[in-house]
Amino acid sequence: MQDALLAPFLRLLDDISPSTAVRSAEVGHAHDIWLKLSESGFLDALVSERDGGAGLQPRDVANLLLASGRRLLPAPFGETMVARALATRAGMRLPTTPILLWPENSQGKLRSSLAPVWAGATHALVQRGDQVSLRALGQFAAPADGYALPAATLATAAPVASFTLEPDALLSWSATLTAVAMAGAMAGVLDMTIDHVNTREQFGRKLGQFQAIQHQLAIMAEQTTATCTAARIALSRPLPGPSCLDAAAAKIAANEAAKIVCAIAHAAHGAIGVTAEHDLQLYTRRIKRAVASVGSSAFWADQIGQAHLSEGTDAGVFVRSHWAA
Amino acid sequence: MLDLLHSFALVSPPPAAEALRPRIKAFLTERLGKIPADIRARSWTGFDAEFSRDLANQGWVGFTVPKDYGGGGGSAFDRFVLVEELLLAGAPVAAHWIGDRQSGPLLLRYGTESQRRFFLPRICRGEIFFCIGMSEPNAGSDLAGVRTRAVRDGDFWIMNGSKIWTTHAQKSHYMIALVRTSGGASERQKGLSQFVIDLTLPGVDIRPIVDLAGDAHFSEVFFQDVRLPSDALVGEEGAGWAQVNAELAFERSGPERIYSSIALLDHWVKHLRRAKASSAATRQVGMLMARLATLRQMSLAVTARLASGESPLVEAAILKDLGTQFEQDVPSIIGDTVADDPRLIADQELVRTLAYVSLISPTYSLRGGAREILRGMIARGLGLR
Ligand SMILES: Cc1cc2nc3c(=O)[nH]c(=O)nc-3n(C[C@H](O)[C@H](O)[C@H](O)COP(=O)(O)OP(=O)(O)OC[C@H]3O[C@@H](n4cnc5c(N)ncnc54)[C@H](O)[C@@H]3O)c2cc1C
Repeated sequence: MQDALLAPFLRLLDDISPSTAVRSAEVGHAHDIWLKLSESGFLDALVSERDGGAGLQPRDVANLLLASGRRLLPAPFGETMVARALATRAGMRLPTTPILLWPENSQGKLRSSLAPVWAGATHALVQRGDQVSLRALGQFAAPADGYALPAATLATAAPVASFTLEPDALLSWSATLTAVAMAGAMAGVLDMTIDHVNTREQFGRKLGQFQAIQHQLAIMAEQTTATCTAARIALSRPLPGPSCLDAAAAKIAANEAAKIVCAIAHAAHGAIGVTAEHDLQLYTRRIKRAVASVGSSAFWADQIGQAHLSEGTDAGVFVRSHWAA
Repeated sequence: MLDLLHSFALVSPPPAAEALRPRIKAFLTERLGKIPADIRARSWTGFDAEFSRDLANQGWVGFTVPKDYGGGGGSAFDRFVLVEELLLAGAPVAAHWIGDRQSGPLLLRYGTESQRRFFLPRICRGEIFFCIGMSEPNAGSDLAGVRTRAVRDGDFWIMNGSKIWTTHAQKSHYMIALVRTSGGASERQKGLSQFVIDLTLPGVDIRPIVDLAGDAHFSEVFFQDVRLPSDALVGEEGAGWAQVNAELAFERSGPERIYSSIALLDHWVKHLRRAKASSAATRQVGMLMARLATLRQMSLAVTARLASGESPLVEAAILKDLGTQFEQDVPSIIGDTVADDPRLIADQELVRTLAYVSLISPTYSLRGGAREILRGMIARGLGLR
């Protein structure tokens, strides 16, 4: 099932997500990408068959989400897929445009220090308490946060419609999808770094022949595969989707890995890697923005730590009961 | 080449394997009673022949060996659940550990029919214990440099040389050793063979070595003109290198590469529950649990690959390197919190466990292949050379 989906999806990514498209999406040109993604049918993967979707579960689309992260697909692919699934389950139809997820606290404040990247979206599913509503987006904000990616803002218009969900369900989804995108992007960073050290020569040898470099890349592979595993665990929970602790373990893995992976990749690339022209910055800029979004490691570690201390079981029982895939 | 996004598939033990867990837990609770945490922390170096025989009576030694050879006929996942529970309980598993994990599977795969008929039922009954003779004083990471040699003499092999760091050689009945049978050290991987050696033979001299925590779990073993019968050869003459590498995939992939400091972690958390944890400590608990959840899943993924007959050397190396880092971080993180908290220091059992684990934890990333060697294997898996 998964591989049957993956091959055509990878062909689609070749078409819609080359680095030139990623670059032009940063200044607003993402419309064609969305059209092709819509036509592909993948966006309704998680919608039930009764409602015209493919009736898949999150684990069935894990490979697609990871692949789109690896290619920096400049569209809210996972977010829209999840929004459509959750809304149709509640009997609500969403517009066919890109949708973001917007988890708020009980005072209506976004639960992320950075707003979601706009990426051409028209609406967001906003959750406050157990109420989820569809809200239109306002004019996107010029990237004032320094990461140079246009950020979404909510319009002042009243919500279009609403339904209920377990509190913080969208927070868990946001963190999970962010971690999945980071895992994919780290694989992309490693692809580029392997390529670079197998090409660039110094002292008459390929960089990749130096043991110091080999070991650094081995560490990148360890961190990337660990993040990928944590992300897959979170995606293994059937709809309505990941628990708080699923999201926590995935975002912690992604955040911790990101620091190591970005640092090694830049070191191995040397000066060329910090130029605007080189694609490495497309990846590391997004990964670092994601680290600063939807909860730090400390925030998520608090959730897990408190749960473990209050449940009173040993580590083995605790891990099995919360993260058995 | 390592497939970054797909090499660790999401798997869980099938229901039949999970169904064993309550029985195993009940047996361990009853059989072990209450063991102090610093003893539990010695789990897979803790040698207790009687415990191993009791476990064998339950059918839980040689669990994956086919019933034909006296085993339990269980799956790799059955064994995963069993081993996981043994390690979480801190059971003293060392006596049967090597035979169960690698010597048995090795004999099953490469041994002759009469070797299988002789050794496997005895392993499964907990009657004979094995040790691994790979390392030598001058051949550690560079295993192909072994100098211990066996030379044909009619129907016998005459063996000379020595092995070192051989875990529990002094209490084992047999050693499976990697030795040179032809060529010189310059031939490297060629000309190596494996033998199963009866450690009571004349000319075998075993001298235990005391470690920095005061335990003597490993030994140096000397061989002087030891006469091995021709049926001591395991597998093919000259194929020792390939056989030893298949054996190492078994050695590197199990849950023992993530649970070595679990007794310390559990005991510390128990203490935090009584003493109201600081917010810094709560976060440390959360960070460690998040890592453990991921590592356990990676270990299951490697188990699945082994179960389907593959030899996932690169994935096993990734798991072992990440797993032993986790095991080594546990005492260092807990050490910091204990040092600042007089209430924690007052718990002698906690401090003793911390002392033991922090002293012994450097061995976690040495035994079974050192960190730099694993990273070299991973790099080759990425296409660097
Ligand atoms: C508790 C314990 C139990 C053990 N039990 C057994 C057993 O039962 N049977 C058995 O056969 N062996 C056993 N060993 C031995 C173990 O396999 C070796 O310790 C291990 O292979 C490393 O070899 P070494 O100790 O000689 O270190 P060395 O090989 O000398 O390595 C020392 C350091 O140098 C690094 N290094 C070596 N070569 C390179 C290189 N090419 N590039 C970069 N760095 C390098 C290593 O990574 C390591 O950090 C045991 C060891 C321990 C600690």
